[in-house]
Amino acid sequence: MTTEITKSNVETPELAQQRKWQTPLFDIFENKDELLLVADMPGVNSDNIKIHLDKNELIIEGKRKASTHSNALAVERSAYDYQRIFTIPPGVDEMKIKAENKHGVLRLHLPKSEAVKPRQIQVKAG
Amino acid sequence: MLTKWDDFTRTFSALDEFRRRINNAFDEAGHPLWVYQTDQRPAGSWPAINLYDEGSNLIVEAEVPGLTEDKIQLSLNENVLSISGERKVEVPKDYAVHRQERSSIKFARSFSLPSKVDSEKVAAAVKDGLLTVTMEKAKEAQPRKITIKAS
Repeated sequence: MTTEITKSNVETPELAQQRKWQTPLFDIFENKDELLLVADMPGVNSDNIKIHLDKNELIIEGKRKASTHSNALAVERSAYDYQRIFTIPPGVDEMKIKAENKHGVLRLHLPKSEAVKPRQIQVKAG
Repeated sequence: MLTKWDDFTRTFSALDEFRRRINNAFDEAGHPLWVYQTDQRPAGSWPAINLYDEGSNLIVEAEVPGLTEDKIQLSLNENVLSISGERKVEVPKDYAVHRQERSSIKFARSFSLPSKVDSEKVAAAVKDGLLTVTMEKAKEAQPRKITIKAS
């Protein structure tokens, strides 16, 4: 007889790290030149933000420092890290990704590569 | 039966509180699907704050992403601290919108502080979207050490 307890569920693997994280809120915009991602990530400075593109997965991580203050009387926000992963369409020029972090808002510019930009095709009169 | 309007609104504030607690419960679990909904709070609970008592100072930290000093109004009346302001989120010109989770918000929150503070000795600063208000406790509220004399 087998016990259910010993079975591991492959669908929901356990986390190896104990640090908790939360998903920041994002806006996603697009124009003909780029995708623009805007996120609220208060409490993280630019040095603690990591962005990487793995094939078509864009991973955004922000490490938050624990508060320097002690003896909390009311806690509504915890120093969880931020993490969010997006699947982005192919054709983003990885080397040209630009990010700026200002007042706790991250702006990510993902320029499209030349190949996927819309092109006007001139029709010549025959 | 007539019900006082006050009772009626209070019912809903209880619901809001219930929702806040449910959301917080999921937040604690660190569940990715639910966590980002914790930020979709009713306007009354934005920005999220932490309050610290460091003996001689009271410290309030509030998450105000995108706001600069001039967009936040702070006031102190007796021992009630009020934070208010407005955050505007705009779609950049000539961009199509794929997803919009961040929202514009007009906010106002007041907190009654656990002890009297010296209104002359309040400092506030905003850094990386985090507002920190440091308030020195009033003289009579300062912690005092009482020495016990041997008889």
